Amino acid sequence: MNEDSILRVEGLSTQFSTDHGLVKAVDGVSFELRRGETLGIVGESGSGKSVTNLSVLRLIQSPPGIIASGSVLFQGKDLLAASEEEVRVLRGRNISMIFQDPLTSLNPVLKVSTQIAEAIQLHHGLGRKEAKAKAVAMMKLIGIPDAERRADDYPHQFSGGMRQRVMIAMALSCDPDVLIADEPTTALDVTIQAQILELIKSMSARNKTSVILITHDLGVVAGMCDTVCVMYAGRIVERAPVDDLFEKPAHPYTQGLLDSIPRADRSGPERLYSIPGSPPNLIDMPDACPFAPRCARVMDICTKAAPPETALDEEGKRTVRCWLHSMESTNE
Amino acid sequence: MNDTEYLLDVRGLKVHFPIEKGILLKRRAGYVRAVDGVDFRIRPGEALGLVGESGCGKSTTAMAVAQLQTPTAGQVLLDGRDLAALSPQELRAARKDFQIVFQDPYSSLDPRQKAADIIAEPLRIFAKRGIITMDDAEIQSTALSLMDRCGLSASFATRYPHEFSGGQRQRIGIARALALGPRLVIADEPVSALDVSIQSQILNLLKDLQKDFNLTFLFIAHDLAVIEYFCTKIAVMYLGRIVETADSATIASNPMHPYTKALLSAAPLPDPAKERSRRRIILKGDVPSPSVEHRGCPFRERCPEAMDVCALSAPVLKPVGEGHEVSCFLYGEG
Repeated sequence: MNEDSILRVEGLSTQFSTDHGLVKAVDGVSFELRRGETLGIVGESGSGKSVTNLSVLRLIQSPPGIIASGSVLFQGKDLLAASEEEVRVLRGRNISMIFQDPLTSLNPVLKVSTQIAEAIQLHHGLGRKEAKAKAVAMMKLIGIPDAERRADDYPHQFSGGMRQRVMIAMALSCDPDVLIADEPTTALDVTIQAQILELIKSMSARNKTSVILITHDLGVVAGMCDTVCVMYAGRIVERAPVDDLFEKPAHPYTQGLLDSIPRADRSGPERLYSIPGSPPNLIDMPDACPFAPRCARVMDICTKAAPPETALDEEGKRTVRCWLHSMESTNE
Repeated sequence: MNDTEYLLDVRGLKVHFPIEKGILLKRRAGYVRAVDGVDFRIRPGEALGLVGESGCGKSTTAMAVAQLQTPTAGQVLLDGRDLAALSPQELRAARKDFQIVFQDPYSSLDPRQKAADIIAEPLRIFAKRGIITMDDAEIQSTALSLMDRCGLSASFATRYPHEFSGGQRQRIGIARALALGPRLVIADEPVSALDVSIQSQILNLLKDLQKDFNLTFLFIAHDLAVIEYFCTKIAVMYLGRIVETADSATIASNPMHPYTKALLSAAPLPDPAKERSRRRIILKGDVPSPSVEHRGCPFRERCPEAMDVCALSAPVLKPVGEGHEVSCFLYGEG
């Protein structure tokens, strides 16, 4: 197994100041992405999964946002301490990103080949003609039928699935080391989602690209990822290799999520489990476990202090933030 | 009343939208065949799930059943009475029996009304028209008890929609749909906009309400797993037609139409070992445009099992087992 890490995020906190108070959208997040690995970041809306990755690329709009603390080490270099110019060079070339909604992330008045070629021209210093040829080659590779002709089409002439392919072509055109995919298939139908996930999988295997896949869908995680981080209220509450997470989830939230998914592959219980209540408001969060008000196994201590990150194995591959486990390890 | 076996009986439902070209001299350039000949029946107390991808016509079917979209052809029999043939006054009175829960809990609630008023509004309107007899106090207490039944505390009665979370808003929408005591509830993607942990709360609430009020559901969703959990019967739609229908367990264990198989196989499962071992059917291409008239089977271009005969004529739904119908040439000639 290849152990060298390509991206290491430590103690990342991103905050937004609003009229109602300070929102700690990301609160002390740490994770590591190894070369060739696909890391899943899963959570519900507002859990901070997108903000985490926008912070990694320094794409947080400021004000109102501010990266309050932490470091993002890409091949040993701290992106949060780097100059804007240095980060700009890395973006697109070394780390690139695809977004949920391909229609709003593409420029409606530029031909798709021009948009793909733009990044190639910029990062590889190629001329317009060569860049366009490379863009068309990329479109072919990504499975856009009739690529030569479609190169001169505009985004609105493409279907949702094809637009997402264009986004992927653009993101992969400079052979990045890291691809961040933020809900890449959420806006797509299932049969198209299957096509796009397959494409991301084969492209990342081909180029040994490391992938951070942000999603709310545990099914997508199960099929795509090697390692998973579960986020809740701006924190990573559990991190585990994919099989372990689904086999024996350690955090009550992970357990609750898994139990509340209706499953087509087996006849489930008459009644689904459901986690009571709704996610907390992130404004002025108290120093306590954010999941405590909804947790079926809540204890006194949970409302008094936030649980620390506890390692569940020796290599530190599995960690959880829950007093149930911190208690066990201190008692032993 | 009528001694029909089915509460809802939809026959030959078609909704075609004309495409017009030109600015001054408009001419008809064709039709979008959103719903193109759909038949289904629902027994009292049953839940039928319509499943399919965007553009397959499932929502248009729901809107045509609810008479919010005038059908181009076909009948919508609710308890034996054709809704499409009613006069506007009759239809208004009949709406008491069928109500709708919408997908988006944000845009389907009036932002300037308080929660209790939103739920009471249908009662007020029907009382004013003399269709039901209720005074203001009764209406208010009905609204409050519905809130309670849908898991909203009475202290929320005077709050506005923006003060609620998505899940709570959907509860308001459900309470409003139940206010008039409908027999049929048409739920158009009621949980698609919600997070996983909230989705199961709402599905369970709908199940409880179905039992308590003996409701019949026409349930629209794109997620097969959600449909299988909630519905007793499933109809799979593709390009404006039903391609397969059976009870939920049969669809899950013995799907027959290649499209149903592909849908099932494309849905990601929260199980890494299964995900690694399963062989996924990946369909080629996109859903074709419903404005193009299709010769032959509409699924033919994407079908992994297409044959010559599929290009010649369109298959029709034919029984292949107990309550199981498939429209595909693989199972006999059309």
